[in-house]
Amino acid sequence: MYQLDFGVLREYLPAILDGLYMTIQISILSIILGSIMGVAGALCRTSKSFLLRSIGNVYVEWIRNTPLLIQILFIYFGLGVFFSLSPLAASVLALSFFSGAYITEIIRAGIQSIHRGQLEAALSIGMTDWQAMRLIILPQAIKRILPPLAGQFITLVKDSSLVSVIAVTDLTYVAKNIVTITFRAFEVWLAIAAFYFILSFGLSLVVRKLEKRLAESD
Amino acid sequence: MIKLTNVCKSFGPLEVLKNVSLTVAPGEVVVVIGPSGSGKSTLLRTINGLETIQGGAVTVNGISVHASQANLHQARQLTGMVFQQFNLFNHKNVLDNITMGPIHVQNKTRAEAEATAMALLKKVGLPEKAQSYPSRLSGGQQQRVAIARALAMHPQVMLFDEPTSALDPEMIAEVLEVMKGLARDGMTMVVVTHEMGFAREVANRVVFMADGAIVEEAPPQAFFANPQNERTKQFLSRILNH
Repeated sequence: MYQLDFGVLREYLPAILDGLYMTIQISILSIILGSIMGVAGALCRTSKSFLLRSIGNVYVEWIRNTPLLIQILFIYFGLGVFFSLSPLAASVLALSFFSGAYITEIIRAGIQSIHRGQLEAALSIGMTDWQAMRLIILPQAIKRILPPLAGQFITLVKDSSLVSVIAVTDLTYVAKNIVTITFRAFEVWLAIAAFYFILSFGLSLVVRKLEKRLAESD
Repeated sequence: MIKLTNVCKSFGPLEVLKNVSLTVAPGEVVVVIGPSGSGKSTLLRTINGLETIQGGAVTVNGISVHASQANLHQARQLTGMVFQQFNLFNHKNVLDNITMGPIHVQNKTRAEAEATAMALLKKVGLPEKAQSYPSRLSGGQQQRVAIARALAMHPQVMLFDEPTSALDPEMIAEVLEVMKGLARDGMTMVVVTHEMGFAREVANRVVFMADGAIVEEAPPQAFFANPQNERTKQFLSRILNH
């Protein structure tokens, strides 16, 4: 009969915290880079230029219709044939490209949901297209898309566990090692799940607070 | 001040403006009326380039609006526009709505822009609403703020696109009052509206449009008392006798 022993967690806590730190680091970097890609992607997809629109479409469709795991393997091992990326860099790159495609669609929908009159009013007082986008459209769109954006960020935190396949010492990778050594699969994986839960749930609480603050003008 | 020469505009196969020419002198108030779909809003929107044109030319103060992006930009600063749906920036309070143009387009300092904004808010009768968000204002108040926002750019021409059509009846008067004040101050105005009382009282000239063309134009007394064209007579009898 299997005897539960959570003591093993205490012993390996430093390693787990290192993994947690790595997961947080990857997540934050990917959220930032992915958001930048998302804004750029959305500007492409809503652009007047056919070329930019096409680039945006190809990017989004390519990423959305291939598995993230394959994208990670391709960037690390595939691109690794031509230039070597560190596992960390490859992970951040893969996760940013991946979430960027979804964020592109979220932001595009947000931009298109803003009434055309807002743009016209901005142009009518002499703003350039870019000023209208930056000062009038995007701030209103961001407010509206915060909930789906938060969902995407949370997905990213959870999907980051996949990068353990390219030997990034994240939470999942560390957990696998500890299980291999201790055979305490139940305790370790339960604890790791709890850490992911805290990260994800904490993130959604932060976003909810932000939403409330932005609701001032409603 | 404004000169439209043979302006043509179509949406796909639909011709909405057919060789329209119109001149507006400085200080003149021109009211454009006509049935819906006659092209009057489109005509107004070609003046500040919110609609592109396929033929002809529009000049504002000598600047050919549709000739280049730079001209368009310049012309838009000379023309203030007031929309049917107000289109206030929903994420900004009233003061920011009015100061954004002067600060970001004309590079005024915030202090300078705010001083102008407060003076304009007083003019439209809403100084106490400076910190309110648009969603907290009535339609009439929003429209008056929209007028202040347009005036903050010190335009030489004000364009009004059915400014009272989205308002409850009791709020129409407060907006019309502000517009009458502007006219008295000598502002050049082009107003698309269904407010015949306003046309009669304030307009120097009434322009009647139908099917994408200007059918008749005349000073208001002559226009309402003695319309010449059949279409005009028909239109007037329909809107005045009910």
